Amino acid sequence: MQYKAIIIGGSAGSFQVVTKILNSLSKDFPMPVLLCLHRLKHVRSGFVEALSIKSNIPIEEPYDKDILKSGKAYLAPANYHMFVELSNRIALSTEDPLNHSRPSIDLSFITAANAYRDKLIGIILSGANRDGAFGLKKVHDNGGVAIVQDPAECEVKAMTQSALQLTPVDYVYTTDQIISFLLKL
Amino acid sequence: MIDLGIVDIREILKTIQTKYKYDFSNYALTSLKQRLEKFIIRNSLIDANGLLKKLKEHPEEFDTFLHEISVPSSEMFRDPSLWRWLREVHFANLSDHDLMNYKIWLPNCVSGGELYSLCILLHEIGLLNKVKIIASSASEANIINIKNGSYDLKKIEISAENYKRFQGSGSFQSYYTIDRYFAIRNKSLINNVEFRRQNINFDDSPINVKLIIFRNSLIYYNPTLQEKVLANMYENLSATGLLIIGIREKIRESSTYKGFEIINEFERVYKKKL
Repeated sequence: MQYKAIIIGGSAGSFQVVTKILNSLSKDFPMPVLLCLHRLKHVRSGFVEALSIKSNIPIEEPYDKDILKSGKAYLAPANYHMFVELSNRIALSTEDPLNHSRPSIDLSFITAANAYRDKLIGIILSGANRDGAFGLKKVHDNGGVAIVQDPAECEVKAMTQSALQLTPVDYVYTTDQIISFLLKL
Repeated sequence: MIDLGIVDIREILKTIQTKYKYDFSNYALTSLKQRLEKFIIRNSLIDANGLLKKLKEHPEEFDTFLHEISVPSSEMFRDPSLWRWLREVHFANLSDHDLMNYKIWLPNCVSGGELYSLCILLHEIGLLNKVKIIASSASEANIINIKNGSYDLKKIEISAENYKRFQGSGSFQSYYTIDRYFAIRNKSLINNVEFRRQNINFDDSPINVKLIIFRNSLIYYNPTLQEKVLANMYENLSATGLLIIGIREKIRESSTYKGFEIINEFERVYKKKL
């Protein structure tokens, strides 16, 4: 297996895209999918349920130190940062927000890039601030694959445009192209 | 931007272990790495060598290091529904008999967010002077800060929103004043709190505790240290005492696990089995 994990970051306008991607994956998808999406910090339930409606793979908000498994998606819980440890476990943190965000997409991507190096695929979707740009650069610098949703298609373009400014990404893809890329893995 | 490598981190931890007998080797690496990097930046130490030099040559600053390396509470009244549960379900049902020798322990206090939240709650239901509260911390600087009442002003707004959701009976603004860049919390709230220094293994901790509030500290440990610390907490709890951990933390299957039953899954409240 060439890759060990996929990490997806998004904010405003990314919900439809994420659900479309998740709905297209088969239940034996060969690696874990990490989701770091900006969300209201005081709303603890409902998000996983909404993402799960048509998904073939189980989606969960992990507990701290859960072991990452193939064929599962892990959504960063409200008001926590979500990291990947070298031991292939999730680690949560209540550190200060970064770019006004907790969970911070940058921090999730940076730690995943450190853990998986060139075996990671990072994807930045529609969103309203620059969170994730630095993290995607880290994925790229460590030899992983950097993908950005085509800003032309994004409901809110700031996040994808910031990522494109900072990193010579591997692919700028529409949602459908992202899906066909993932289905070939 | 500093990016400490694993070799750097091991060397730093070895130095701390040798010189100060503090074992950080079972801390979760990702968070520890970030805290070390932040410390290096904040103290203009440039790189791992700068930090190593400081650790080796300035033992008088080790307490400051412990203070800055610990992650402060993110806000007061975090997870308002837990605090409501404590007020409406837990404390509301305690009899006078239960309240005799009722001891609450808050390990690993850093900025006192949980401590002041608890004291405000107890004050509002008239129990503040009827229970014994013990707060422990790894660093003297943490304790001094908590005793001064100072709190990050940036965290006041979210804390006030939490307090509203907690539906406190008072006015949140009455519990602090603002002094330039800091909020100063009302120190009279913690008049009866006993402060203790704690070491990394929680040896010499209070015993016969009825309630331990230990939220979002386990996340900074690896499973080995989590297990060790939880076994220690189990020993410190009185029979049927409660342990509250963070809402995305859990006690994993192990020897300690069998000694606890979960009584509120959503808020992560565990009870020591008889």
